[in-house]
Amino acid sequence: MTSPQIEIQLIAAVVAIACAIPGVFLVLRKMALISDAISHSILPGIVLGFFITHDLNSPLLIVLAAITGVITVILVEAIQRTGLVKEDTAIGLVFPALFSIGVILIAKNANDVHLDVDAVLLGELAFAPFDRLLMGGVDMGPKSLWIMGSILLIIIALLLLFYKELKVSTFDIGLSSALGISPMIMHYGLMSVSSVTVVGAFDAVGAILVVALMIAPAATAYLLTSDLKKMLLLSVFFAIFSAIAGYWMANILDASISGSMTTMLGIVFLLVYLFAPQKGLIAVLYRQQQQRTEVSLLTFLLHLNNHSETEERHINHLQEHINWQKVRSKTVLNLALKNNMIEIDENIVSLTEKGKEFTDLALEYIITNKDEKIEPMKDDFFLFRG
Amino acid sequence: MFSLGFINIPVLAGKYMKNKKIAIQVDDLTVAYNYKPVLWDIDLHVPEGVLMAIVGPNGAGKSTLIKAILGILDPIAGSVCIYGKPYEKQRKLVAYVPQKGSVDWDFPTTALDVVMMGTYGQLGWIKRPGVKEKKASLEALEKVGMLAFKNRQISQLSGGQQQRVFLARALVQNAAIYFMDEPFQGVDATTEIAIINILKELRKAGKTVVVVHHDLQTVPEYFDWVTFLNVKKIATGPVKEIFNDDNLTKTYGINYKVAVNK
Ligand SMILES: Nc1ncnc2c1ncn2[C@@H]1O[C@H](COP(=O)(O)OP(=O)(O)O)[C@@H](O)[C@H]1O
Ligand SMILES: [Mg+2]
Repeated sequence: MTSPQIEIQLIAAVVAIACAIPGVFLVLRKMALISDAISHSILPGIVLGFFITHDLNSPLLIVLAAITGVITVILVEAIQRTGLVKEDTAIGLVFPALFSIGVILIAKNANDVHLDVDAVLLGELAFAPFDRLLMGGVDMGPKSLWIMGSILLIIIALLLLFYKELKVSTFDIGLSSALGISPMIMHYGLMSVSSVTVVGAFDAVGAILVVALMIAPAATAYLLTSDLKKMLLLSVFFAIFSAIAGYWMANILDASISGSMTTMLGIVFLLVYLFAPQKGLIAVLYRQQQQRTEVSLLTFLLHLNNHSETEERHINHLQEHINWQKVRSKTVLNLALKNNMIEIDENIVSLTEKGKEFTDLALEYIITNKDEKIEPMKDDFFLFRG
Repeated sequence: MFSLGFINIPVLAGKYMKNKKIAIQVDDLTVAYNYKPVLWDIDLHVPEGVLMAIVGPNGAGKSTLIKAILGILDPIAGSVCIYGKPYEKQRKLVAYVPQKGSVDWDFPTTALDVVMMGTYGQLGWIKRPGVKEKKASLEALEKVGMLAFKNRQISQLSGGQQQRVFLARALVQNAAIYFMDEPFQGVDATTEIAIINILKELRKAGKTVVVVHHDLQTVPEYFDWVTFLNVKKIATGPVKEIFNDDNLTKTYGINYKVAVNK
């Protein structure tokens, strides 16, 4: 690897982590759309900052753009509060308006300077290593690495300090407010951090990848865990993985780096969406199938429990009695046999000790709805997992 | 002190009030959403140590009243006092159970973690919960019969279990006043009894408990104090004295019997 290659991957990884962390909270607050809105509507802030400083990496740009980002959020909420439109509509009204103000500003004034909409929206990671930070003539490394590195450190510090506040204000606004942990402060804090991150990442990777980096890793991690800390760690992992893998994909295919990273984020999400052990599509379908079988099993066991007369329990009669098709009866019969719940003696089916116990427990559960009764059975039976 | 008590006794409801402090005092409270008032000029004095039901039809403003008392919503007029001081100064005296539907139960967290959130108020900003908070949370879970589920993800709990977890979270707040918004919503009979027993225990310990309640039939059995609310306050006082047809009609309209027997 050449040194620019290493630097590009380093920048990509730092940007990815910085986006993924606030992204987790945006996804949990169902505000994924807001990050999209911010990433577009900060344009006028960037343009204004650029006119003043003529430097795309100036801190003033970040500050102005972050302010525009927060203004976006305030406008969206003000429109929403009128009660005339829903949140998504409000977002749809605000960000094109602000974005177009930015575009008009560029068109009117930026003819003589290098700032075009494409560059702002798409960004180009490949060029990032060539913009160096020089201090007293000494090369300190790529500028964007310094900017994003600082933003990342701030994000990590804020996360460590306010983890509990972020958690409670995301989960339960009412309690949070009653406890004196102002959800307003947390909300605008998160919005400011997101805006700063988006702006900082903008120049390096472009708006589209920024939004993808904020949302996709968090959405992917959400499918894999039911623990907020693990969700944060997994998001960071997926973000880094997609960034690095995306870089190499671009390298091999000779394609746009940002585009490849976005594609990689999509691929990772799709794979997890299909194969996640609990919430994945395949697992869900499998579970539904299992549940159907287990309801049948229970019906069958209850039938046996309710009838002592042998003609009700004759293997050939079961079919018509419980009114099932052949295949289903066979599956259920096999399942019950495999679990030692029934025994078949001269074609007469009867419950074993274990089958009886199971049926009694299940009955008690159905009647009392007391979960602790079936706690030990839960691992074996999908049916009771709720 | 003495003269204050003397004045209060005849104003509030007779013999029940003897030597009782006012735990919650609401004066001239008006609350609006988008400048449209949903609570008009509410006056409410709740004495310490009662188990009070707030009843009223859907949309009467019951949840709004609690949120305004807890400073979650800013009223457009009026004031609230908790033991004589503004809520902001008395946060640690108050525990709150919001309506179950107000949170996202798919949030990635466990039952124990949710209960721990009850300790965040005592901790204040930045400080993290430690061993002490964890122990208190486990005890609260045990109290509501949910210890076995402490590591269960909250979406994997039944409605009744979720409600118990919320109750445990309020218990761990270790407050003097408990506000509960429809704690019996979507729970089975066993859980309902378990919850009401815990609430009665709290009252026995001298706590004040305010519950938004829907089942009018059980009001006399569960509560000793009641507030009728429908945008305006209809009546408030001891169940024995004011839980009658007259107030029910005023609150629910002539069809209140349907509501009672539903
Ligand atoms: N966030 C809100 N924005 C606008 N109106 C609201 C909001 N929350 C509640 N309302 C309205 O205020 C009234 C009272 O609501 P609420 O306090 O939830 O009633 P209750 O708890 O008695 O069912 C209802 O008419 C409801 O539609
Ligand atoms: Mg309500």
